[in-house]
Formats: sequence, structure tokens, C-alpha cells
Amino acid sequence: MDIRRFFQPTSAKPAVQKPAPNGNIKTQDKKKKTNPLSSEEDVKKKKKETAKVKSSKPDEKRKDSDKKRKKHAVIESDSEDEEVARKSPKEKQKMSKTEPPPKKDPVQYVSETDSDSDNFQSLKKTSKPKQNGTAKPTKSEAASARPGAKEGVKSPVQSSSSSWGKTAGKSPVTPKSAPPPQPKQTPTSVLDYFGSEAVQRSDKKLVASTKRKAPTQDTDDLISDEQIARELQMDEDMELEKQVHEDEEFARTLAMLDKEPQAKKARKGSEEKPAPTTFKKSSTSAGSTSSPSKTNLRGSMSEDVISPSPKRNPVPVKTSSKLAMMKKREEERDEWPKAKTAISPTKIKISPKKEPIASSSSPRKFTPKTGTTPTAVKTSPKKPESTSTSPDDGEKKKVNASAYRNFLNRDGPRALGSKEIPQGAENCLEGCVFVVTGVLESMERDDVKSLIERYGGKVTGNISKKTTYLVQGRDSGVSKLEKAESLGTKILDEDGLLELIRTKPGKISKYEIAAEAENKASKTRTPPSRTSKSTPKAQKISPSKGNSRSPHTPSPSKTGLAQGHGTRIRERGTPPGRGSGHTARRELGLSSSSAPGPSSPSPTGDGASLLWVDKYRPLSLKTVIGQQGDQSCANKLLRWLQNWHKHHSGGAPKPPAARFGKFGGKDDGSGFKAALLSGPPGVGKTTTAALVCEELSFSYVEMNASCTRSKKNLKEVVAESLNNTSIENFYKGTSQTVSTKHVLIMDEVDGMAGNEDRGGIQEMIGLIKSSKIPIIFMCNDRNHQKIRSLANYCFDLRFQRPRVEQIKGAMMSIAFKEGIKIPPPALNEMILAANQDVRQVIHNLSMWSARDKVMTYDQCKSDAARARKDMKMGPFDVCRKVFSSGEETAHMSLIDKSDLFFHDYSLAPLFVQENYLHVRPKAAGSDLKSHLVLLSKTADSISDGDLVDRRIRSGQNWSLLPTQAIYASVLPGELMRGYMGQFPTFPSWLGKYSSTSKHSRIVQELASHMSLKTMSSRQAVNLDYLYYLRQALLSPLQRHGSEGAGEAVKLLDDYQLIKEDVDSIMEISVWGGQPDPYSKLDSKVKAAFTRTYNKEVHMTPYSLQVVKKGRRGGGGESEFGGEDAENEVQESEDEGEGLKTDAMIKQKKAKATKESKKEKKEDSGKGKGKGKGKGKK
Amino acid sequence: MSLWLDKYRPTSLGKLDYHKEQATQLKNLVQCGDFPHLLVYGPSGAGKKTRIMCLLRELYGAGVEKLRIEHQTIVAPSKKKIEINTIASNYHLEVNPSDAGNQDRVVIQELIKTVAQSQQIQSSTQREFKVVLLTEVDRLTKDAQHALRRTMEKYMGTCRLILCSTSTSKVIGPIRSRCLAIRVPLPSTEEVCNVLTSVCKKEGLLLPPELAKQISEKSGRNLRKALLMCEACRVQQYPFSADQDVPVTDWEVYLRETANAIVSQQSPQRLLEVRARLYELLTHCIPPDVIMKGLVTELLSNCDGQLKTEVAHMAAYYEHRLQLGSKAIYHLEAFTAKFMAIYKKFMEDGLDAMMF
Repeated sequence: MDIRRFFQPTSAKPAVQKPAPNGNIKTQDKKKKTNPLSSEEDVKKKKKETAKVKSSKPDEKRKDSDKKRKKHAVIESDSEDEEVARKSPKEKQKMSKTEPPPKKDPVQYVSETDSDSDNFQSLKKTSKPKQNGTAKPTKSEAASARPGAKEGVKSPVQSSSSSWGKTAGKSPVTPKSAPPPQPKQTPTSVLDYFGSEAVQRSDKKLVASTKRKAPTQDTDDLISDEQIARELQMDEDMELEKQVHEDEEFARTLAMLDKEPQAKKARKGSEEKPAPTTFKKSSTSAGSTSSPSKTNLRGSMSEDVISPSPKRNPVPVKTSSKLAMMKKREEERDEWPKAKTAISPTKIKISPKKEPIASSSSPRKFTPKTGTTPTAVKTSPKKPESTSTSPDDGEKKKVNASAYRNFLNRDGPRALGSKEIPQGAENCLEGCVFVVTGVLESMERDDVKSLIERYGGKVTGNISKKTTYLVQGRDSGVSKLEKAESLGTKILDEDGLLELIRTKPGKISKYEIAAEAENKASKTRTPPSRTSKSTPKAQKISPSKGNSRSPHTPSPSKTGLAQGHGTRIRERGTPPGRGSGHTARRELGLSSSSAPGPSSPSPTGDGASLLWVDKYRPLSLKTVIGQQGDQSCANKLLRWLQNWHKHHSGGAPKPPAARFGKFGGKDDGSGFKAALLSGPPGVGKTTTAALVCEELSFSYVEMNASCTRSKKNLKEVVAESLNNTSIENFYKGTSQTVSTKHVLIMDEVDGMAGNEDRGGIQEMIGLIKSSKIPIIFMCNDRNHQKIRSLANYCFDLRFQRPRVEQIKGAMMSIAFKEGIKIPPPALNEMILAANQDVRQVIHNLSMWSARDKVMTYDQCKSDAARARKDMKMGPFDVCRKVFSSGEETAHMSLIDKSDLFFHDYSLAPLFVQENYLHVRPKAAGSDLKSHLVLLSKTADSISDGDLVDRRIRSGQNWSLLPTQAIYASVLPGELMRGYMGQFPTFPSWLGKYSSTSKHSRIVQELASHMSLKTMSSRQAVNLDYLYYLRQALLSPLQRHGSEGAGEAVKLLDDYQLIKEDVDSIMEISVWGGQPDPYSKLDSKVKAAFTRTYNKEVHMTPYSLQVVKKGRRGGGGESEFGGEDAENEVQESEDEGEGLKTDAMIKQKKAKATKESKKEKKEDSGKGKGKGKGKGKK
Repeated sequence: MSLWLDKYRPTSLGKLDYHKEQATQLKNLVQCGDFPHLLVYGPSGAGKKTRIMCLLRELYGAGVEKLRIEHQTIVAPSKKKIEINTIASNYHLEVNPSDAGNQDRVVIQELIKTVAQSQQIQSSTQREFKVVLLTEVDRLTKDAQHALRRTMEKYMGTCRLILCSTSTSKVIGPIRSRCLAIRVPLPSTEEVCNVLTSVCKKEGLLLPPELAKQISEKSGRNLRKALLMCEACRVQQYPFSADQDVPVTDWEVYLRETANAIVSQQSPQRLLEVRARLYELLTHCIPPDVIMKGLVTELLSNCDGQLKTEVAHMAAYYEHRLQLGSKAIYHLEAFTAKFMAIYKKFMEDGLDAMMF
């Protein structure tokens, strides 16, 4: 664009004109490569320009144009298209007629020069082009409406409708450069370019110092690209559209233009009124301020100055109100045509690419150019005004998400895939936050989300002030709509969203900008003056990068032009401004972007054979991703290490203080002699540690998992090396003592678990205590059993995963350095897929870029999905996912579903079985009957799963696991898919199973005790005996109280039961949580019972050793001949064994009384207490 | 003071109260001095064990009644120690190998083999063979049963096996063919009543025939249970009344309540409650098939005729799965869910039919 502008001036200056076309051509070429992008850029630039222009130039015109655009956005776009189309043919004609040869040549020439100048710009531009979204175009359009775009748009109209004749007439009027044929060619497109360019230039120059030099330039290019695209599309649809546009828009716009000052004032009221004055003023001021850009205009006189703003005047021209204006425009157009002529071929070539994409959306895109904010116009009537007032702000609107639960119960999309998903400009939605509510008719919510994210937008769940758009579907949440209305969020329907995507101009990702900025900064550092000296370098660089990034080129044209014309000075002035802009961006944008990862200049040559991970390894602490903060782990470590010797040099460390520090107060770890860095892999723990040591010029010994770290080894190797005096110091004679500048880095300490490293952790703890140097440990899992003991002695630093933005910034700069073109949303996917593992992201980037330097969003997303780290899900998550419905599982394949089972195949079926009853199946709706049927089917499937499980476990048929997966997880999930009202509960089966086996043991014990008497199996004892036995045991106690104790004890003796068995019986016979009848007895009665029992010696035919814990009763003692056993023997044993007697016999009154006392205390009725009491006997 | 059941347990074949013909046959079998391996089977409470003990007494005399409980430790080839309780007299050894769980094969291999291999020292005063009584044979794993096959044949000279089991269906064919199968069926209602009456008479009580009949019915002709119930009735209220409540075990009450809960309402919430109750039953070591049986009988009594066949069919189906599977609750729950679904459908359809 810039170039063109330059050319325009050049056109005024015939000599210059030729080079200008060249520049145009080059730009065009670039555009061809990145046509959509460039166009987007152009648009953006235009927007920016327009914004600028607004300040300086008449607001009225803009407003008018905006209004018109909004109203007839489509029409206008059409008109533009038409214009383009017309232009193209015209251009072609012109080409053939006038300048075919010169075009080529000039192109070549210019290309070099342009590229030189472009490099700087291009860097900026390149980033921008990516972002080129739909929003930008709107701005650009607005901008164009004022100066160039307006002219262009209008011009086409003019040219198409009546302008042709006029233009022809005008062209002659403008003697400078406009050859007669030119007017034909130039129609609108040329005019647009020129007009926009001129305006942009002025804007740029004006703003250049401030902010947006690059963007403006880019916009020019972009516009041209867009125009080209339009032309192509136009060719097809032009005629119809033209007619329409001409009819409505043109009529209005023309009328507006004719009346410009008056009409605007009248229509827009107060604003407009002041505008005209401002208009004139601005024109004058613009002439002064924007004169640089308007160099062309200057040539054309004051009228020219006016012309940029009046670009719309062309419309009036059509109306034939202001001939002078027309002439001026024509002049401009004439100039443009030249450039365009050169461009036209390129455009044509390019067109095919753009056409398919743009065909559907082309009209919309065009509209944006016209200056109205297309999105606003199309989507909601409200927007146009707001956008017109602040088109930039419009882009930053957010979007809403919907209530999830309601959504679950809704029907899915009714017309899936019925609508064509538009192909939008890259990053067109960047900065927009969407909230989706309700069911969209043609898309699943996932698709919507990925669609929005694909274009750089963000989808959130709830509406807030930041939300730009609320996408409303069927059955949308009322609360969200209300909130959206109260917040003034724009509400889109599905079509509106698609339209938005279709029409919003692209943007350059802020990350790209930042990356470029960084790059530029680094380059600029070397060449302090960017102007001519820097350009060659830039050129050199650009070719390599240039292939992928054509958008860079636009900027060069400016420089070239500037050189060609007097504008050089201004442009030279601008570059510094750009520079400032970059720096500003750096500051504003992402500190991380500059800081992250690669500050190393390495990209150049040395790193060719290096992995990127090493190539871009941070070289200073400041550049470690996610560790810039003052309270970041890296800085904490730095401070800790810095002060280490202060705290520990005295040999009197203050561990207590340290402990305190750990739990509260200032957390500087001053009391710890070692630090423990923990965190997930790939976040930079090792790098940080190494850098910290470097920063403080500590020398470090690193031991990682590849070293044997057994206790012995550690002691020998580490202890020795740590106590060494460095030879260096020895030679220097500085110190005889142990060097203080040592650090021991123990990497991957959690790997010290195996046989090899046995005792390593303990040894290290010992090492910490005696160490005279700081030690840094690193591990992944801080909560590992082994590490926990170590952690008590360490300053605990936990590394978190860097945020996606932090990684993204760094990655963008790497990508830039490597010449990879990757859309930021795609990068987002990659980062998320790698679970924010920086190392993995870089590896992936490296690998995937090996195939193609230009990575598309879709490609990246699929790659990322494939590379997605397998994240282990907990059984609770698995269970939730098994039964969850909606998008989350809608796209899961059978394999995916059965994979859920394999997250933990032993627990998963249990979880499913435990929780399927809590699910409200969607299929059943509110019908209880079908719900029950589903439950039954599910239970059947689960029971099938159990059969398979039995087969697997009994026969080791592990190959049946997938079968079990289907039965135990997939089928239940399919049947019951719905909404789970609660968090999955842990399977009770496990607990029940253990209590079952416990009871089983008790029953078995009882059965074996009673076996001589009952001669019954365990089962019979359990089912038949126990209840009645309990009754028989308790009834005397219940009826006669203490007197019944004797009877009960007799019963026990008869059945060879011991006192503990009573407790067991009571325990087993508790049903449904009711208190057992024994505990309901009066404590006196129980005491009497116990006393009575302990009064006598009870002989059992079995050894008690099993019952007691003990290894005591060995073989011999246990075998008493049942009933015939003799008391004497027992007594002797009692005496002999003293304390041990419990195993065999309970007895002795003296002891018994004591026991009874004890038992009274413990009487609460718990069997355990009694058991212990006895045990003490 | 023992329970009546054990107090009045017959100790010789001649004293048995019912199946006297079978008792005579057994007596004849033993009297010739030798007998083949026996497989005694029959439902619980029919008197298998009592009959076996009588047989042993017939065989060896009163010495058999001097029992001792031994605790034996067996070291498996895998060095794993298995502890098992045995009941032994001088003439026989009673083992329940299934106490060792999955390692029952080792018990069979080691313990029984060693016992079977050893000769009786004093063959003049004793029989030439010892008897090994294996209880709960139906719970033996297949491995253990196969281990038993060869042992049974090889040590026939020194050892007789008496296998005691509730069902032969889980005893493998080779073993069944090596044994003389003796079925001990449940006593008839009259026989139960007779036993109850005679026991009461010995206790000096008067048992009304109606109550005796009621008890025998409630006990399902399980004589053990019947006697226990009878004694419980005595404790509850002495002068017996004909229509007095017969105390039933906790778990039976609980099971019945569970079944009623299923019938009274069919909903996911209720299914959840039922699951909890089933768990409760299972944790009390109530065998799942008993639970199933109890449920079905209770449910069937609440079902319409049409539904009965279907429910019975379902019950059989799930009972089978119960045997095949490992987690009983799954199948019990599946049965419950199925019943709920069917029952709900049936009831609602029925209502609809009523409406029109």
C-alpha cells in the first residue's frame, strides 16, 4: 500500500511512477502469497488509519461512510467487488494497453527496494497479517471511507456507474500521471489503494511516532490483496452485486458525498456539524500533518488534501456535484491505476486462491473495506453505531457461554452440518470472548468452540464485562440473556456468528507481533539506524522468512517510495517511531514473550545440529518461562542461594527458625541447607537451578539418575567432592578451606528408589545435616513417600506449569526465529495437548515444522490431538465420564470409551456399579418405567462383566479384558448416559468385602470352637445356631440379671466358647445398625457375667493360640484331651507361664477381681475393651 | 446346659429317629467290617453329620467320641504356610479343606496323604483303616477334587474317606463314581413333629401338635432349626400356645423386609436402598444363593400368577450367574432391578387395562 502511495506521488512524478508499480507488484506478489493475510493487514491498517484520520480528518465523512456502509454493507462490498472486477478487466485492458511491459520491470526493481524497506515493516506486518481478522476490515473500511478506501469504494462506483466517463474525463484533467487508459483500469480498486495509501501514509506518519506505522502500511497491502480477492470474486458475482450496490449504496453514498458537508451535518447532527468544520480543518491540518502521506495529494493541491477525506466525494462526483473533487480523485485514481495495472496481473493470479475462500464471504469482506464495520452491520443493528464510533472496541467484545446442565437435557442440534462453515480471516476473532448459550442448529457446541478458537476467539462459560458476544441458540439460558443485555453484550445467533467470522478482518496475533518485535529489537540493536543500513539485513533475513511470510513485503514499499520521493525524510522519521512502537509492544505485550525461553541469539548458525530445546534454552534467569515474578521459584531460589552462606557460615544454623519459616512468616528458606524443587516435567526445574548457580557464579556438581546414588556411593563420591578445595582456588591461593562457591545439584531424586540407590535418601538427609554447601534437590512428585522425608529438610519450592500465554509467547518467538508460520490458536492447541510442558511443546514444534514450515490450525490441532499426553484420569473422573452425556462424550469412539475402563481396570467396574444408580439416564427422560428398564439392562450388563471378570481372574485370561470393558463400562455408560446428580461415590463393595471376610473369619472361629458339640459346618452355625445361641446366652442375663450369669457361663462352657466368642457373637448378630442386645444389658449384669466367667477355669478342647495373638501356646500345650484334661496340668502351666496363661486358661480369683474392676471401667460394652482387659490378666 | 439340639443328639445308628431303613443299611454295611468310600449328601439340617458320627461309633466304638481339635500347619510347596483346624479322635480325622480357601489342594495333598499313608499300628484291636471325614466337599476347588482322586484309590487299604456335602452337583464325576453315595433327605413334617414332641417330652414339656407343625413348617423341615426354634419358643413363653409366634432368625426377618421393600416400591432410590440391605446380608456371611432363594419365595408370594413364572425364570437365570460370577451383589442387584422393571411394567399395564 505504502508503495502504491508512494507511487501515487510518483505518478505525480512520472519518474517515480514506474518504481512504484514495481513496488506494488512486489507487494502484490507478496499478497499473492499471503493475499488473505495481507488484505487483512491492509484492512487493519486502514482501520488504524481511519481511527487516526478521525482524529485529524473530518469525522463526519467517516461517520457518513460508516453509516452507509453499515446500512448497505453488503451492497458496498458488492460495489467494491464490482469495482474490483471492473478494475481488473479495466486494469487488464490498461495493462495491455498502456503499461504491460513497465509493470513487470518496475515490479522487479521495486521489489528489491521495497523488500529492503519492507523488512522492518514486514516484520511487523507479518505478525499483523496473521491476525487479519474480520474486525480489522471493518476498521479499515471505515478508514478507507475517509481517505483512500472511500475513494476506492466510491471510485469504483463512480467508475462503474458514471465515473467511467467522468474518470476518463478526470484522468485527462489530472495531467500528472493519469494516462487516459488508466482511469478505466483504476476504477475503484486503484483509487482505493491510492486513497487508502495516501491516507495511511499520512496517518502513519502522524501516528508513526506514536503507534501504528507498521499496521497502516500493512493495511495498504492488505487492502490491495483484498481488492484482488474481491476482483476475483467480483468477476463472478460482480454484475449482480454491482447493480444492487450501485442502486442502493451508491445512491445513498453518492448523495451523501454530494452533500457531504451539509448532509453529514444534517444527518449526524451535532457530531456531523462540528465534523465539517473539523473536516476542513482536518483537511488543512491533514495537509500539514499528513502531508507526507499525501505527497501525492500535495501535488494535486489543496483540493487534493480535501480529497482524501472526500474520497466519498467520488460518489458526489457521480452525482456530478463536485467536479473538482472528482478530478482530484481521478488524479489519484490515475496514479493508482498505474500501480494497479502492475498489480492487476498479480491480483488476477492470486485471485484463484482467494476466490474459493472468499467467494462466499467476499461480499462481506468488501463491505468492511467500504468502511462500515461489517460485523456490526450484519450481526446486530446496535453494533454498527457502536462500531462506527469505536470500531476498534468492537473487536474486543466477549462472548458468552451457556448453562451447562440445562444444556445436557436439551436436544442436540437439529440440523447438524446444514450450514456451511465460513472460512474467515485468520485470527479474526482475536480478542473476542464468546459465550455460547443454547443449542445451535447446525453445530455441536464443541464445533462452535473449536471454530471460535480457531479464529483466535475465546469461549468462556459465563458472561462478564469482558464478554464480547453472546451466541444464542435454541433453549438458551434466560439468565445469560438477561445478563448479556444488562452488560450490553452483543447477542448473536448462529448465523450471526458465521457472518461474523466471514466478515471480520484478520488480525495479527499479539504473540506474533511480540515475537517480531523481539526479533526486530534484537536486529535493531545491532544496527542502530534502521533506515537504509538496516534494510539490507532485513532483506537478507526476509528472503528466508519471506517465503512463508509474504506480508512483510508491504512495508518495504513504503521505504522504497519514501526514498524515491521526498517522503524519505518522513519515513525515516517514522522508523524510529516504529521502533518505539515495538518497544512499547514489548513492554505492553508480554514480558514473557521477550523473556521466555530463547533470549539466546543461537538461532543463527551454531545451533543447527542442536535440538531446539537446547538451542533455545534460556541463557539467563530472566528468560526462564514463567519464572519472572519476584516471588517465583527461581527468584526465591536465587535469594536463598545468595544468602545461604550468610545463614550457615557460622556453623550454627538455625534450623528452628527455618522450620518456622516453613510454616508461616517469611518464606525465604533461610533455615534450610537444601532446597527441593518439585514440579511436573518440562517446566524448567533443572534449567532454573543451573541458571541460578550460574547467576551467582557458583560451581555445581550435578548428579542425576544416571549416576549410582546408593548410600555408599553418595557418601564416597559426594561427600568427597563436596569437601574438596577447588584446584582453581588452590592455585590462586585464595582459600585453603572448602570453597564456598559449590552447589550440589541432585537431579531426579525421586528416581532414587530402586535397589541400586537403596538408602540414598537417608544418606542425603544425613548429607544435608553435615553439608557445608547448599544442595539443590529436584523431583517430580513431591508427595512421594520417599521424598516426603527428604522434604522436611528442604526449602520447598514448587514449580507450577507456566500459563499457556507464557509458553505461547516464547513459542511464537521461537517459531519466528525458525521461520515457522503457525497460527496462535494452533499453538494454543499444541501447548494444551502437551499439558503445558514447555519441553514437549518445543519438541513437537520442531518435529511438525520439519514437514512444513507453514502450519495450519487444523493440521496442528490434529497433530496435537495425536500427541496429546495421555493423562491419567482418576477413577472418579472415569466414572463421571462414563455416564456423562453431551459433547464431552458425543465424539468418543468405542475405543475411547473402552479406554476409560482401562484407566484402572480393577476399579473402573466397581465405580460403574456403585454409581450407575445415581445417574438419571437421558434416554429415559422422566419416565420411571423406562428408567427402571434401563437400570435393569445396565445391571445385566454389569453382571455379565462380572462373569467375564471371573473368567479373567480364575483362568488368567487377560485377553478378555476388552470384553469386560464393554460389559462393565461401555454398555452401562451407553445405557445410562445422562446426568449424574452427585459426585461419584467410592465403591462400597471394597469395604463390604473386607467386612464380609472379617465376619467370615469370626464365624469360622466360632464354628471351630463349637464344632465338637454342634458338629456343624460354618454355614449352619451362622444361619441356624447363632441367633438362638445368642438368645439362650442373653435370656438368663436379661431375666435374672446377675443371677443369670452362672447359667450363661454354663452355656458357654458347654459349647466350649470363651468370653471373646461372646463378643464375636454379638458383633455378628448386629443387623442394620441396631445396637446389639448385649450392650443394652446393665453394666452390673455384664460385670457379674464377666466375674462369674473368670471365677472358674475354662477348659477348651482347642488351642487358644490362634485366638490370641500369640506365638505362645506352641504345639504341646494345645492338645488337651478335651473334657478329660486335668486341672493340675493346667494349674502347673498357669504357674509356670504366669503372665502367658491367657492363651490357655482364664482363672484365678485374685486376678479376676482386678480384672473385673478394669472391665467395669471399660465396660462401655465394647468387645475390644474387654478383650484387652483379659489380655492383661 | 446345652441346647436341646445337642443335648438329645442321637449317638448310634439305632437311636436315629427317622430314615431308619437307611440306618439299618448303614449298620449292615459297617458290620461286615469294611465299607467303601462314602459320599453323604443331603440338605442342611437333615442329619448327615449325626448319621456319620453314628456310623463311626458303630465302627470304632465309643472311642470315636473322644475328640480333640488340632491346629495343623501345612507348608505349601510355595513355602506358604497354611493353618487348618482338624477334629480328630484316635480313629478318624475330620477336616474341612475349604477352610484353606484356594489352597485346599495343598491340604488334600499333604495332610490327607500323610494320614492315609500311615498304617494303623495295632491292627488287631482296631480296624485296618482309619477314616478321614471331609466336610463341605462341594466347596472344594476343582484342583483339590482332582488331587483327591488318586489318593482315594491309592490308599484304599489304610484309609476310608467319608465325604460330606450338601449337593453332589459340585463334586466331580470321578469322585462320585468312587464313592458310595448316600443321600440323607430332610425329614418329613411328621418326622420333625415327632422329634420335637419326643424332645419336649424328655424335657418334661407338652408341645401342642399345632405348634409343632408350625415350627416344622417354619423351619423348612430343617431339624436343626426346628429344634432351635422349639427351644426358643420355650424360652419365649412356656405353657406353649398353639398359635404362638415362632421366633425367626434375624437374617430371615431382614431378608423378608428386603423383599417387601422391593415389592412396595420400584424406583432407583429404592434399588439403592435394597442394595444396601443386600450388602448387609452379604456381610453377615449369608450365602448369596440363600438370599436369592429367600427373596424369590417372598417375591413370588406377592406376584400375580402370570408374573410368577417369569420371576421364577429370572431367579433361576440369575442364580446361575451367581454361581458363575464372583461378586454376588452384582447378580442380586441385577435380579432386583430386573424384577423392579418387570413388576413396574406389569402393574402399570394392569392399571391401564383396568382403566379401559
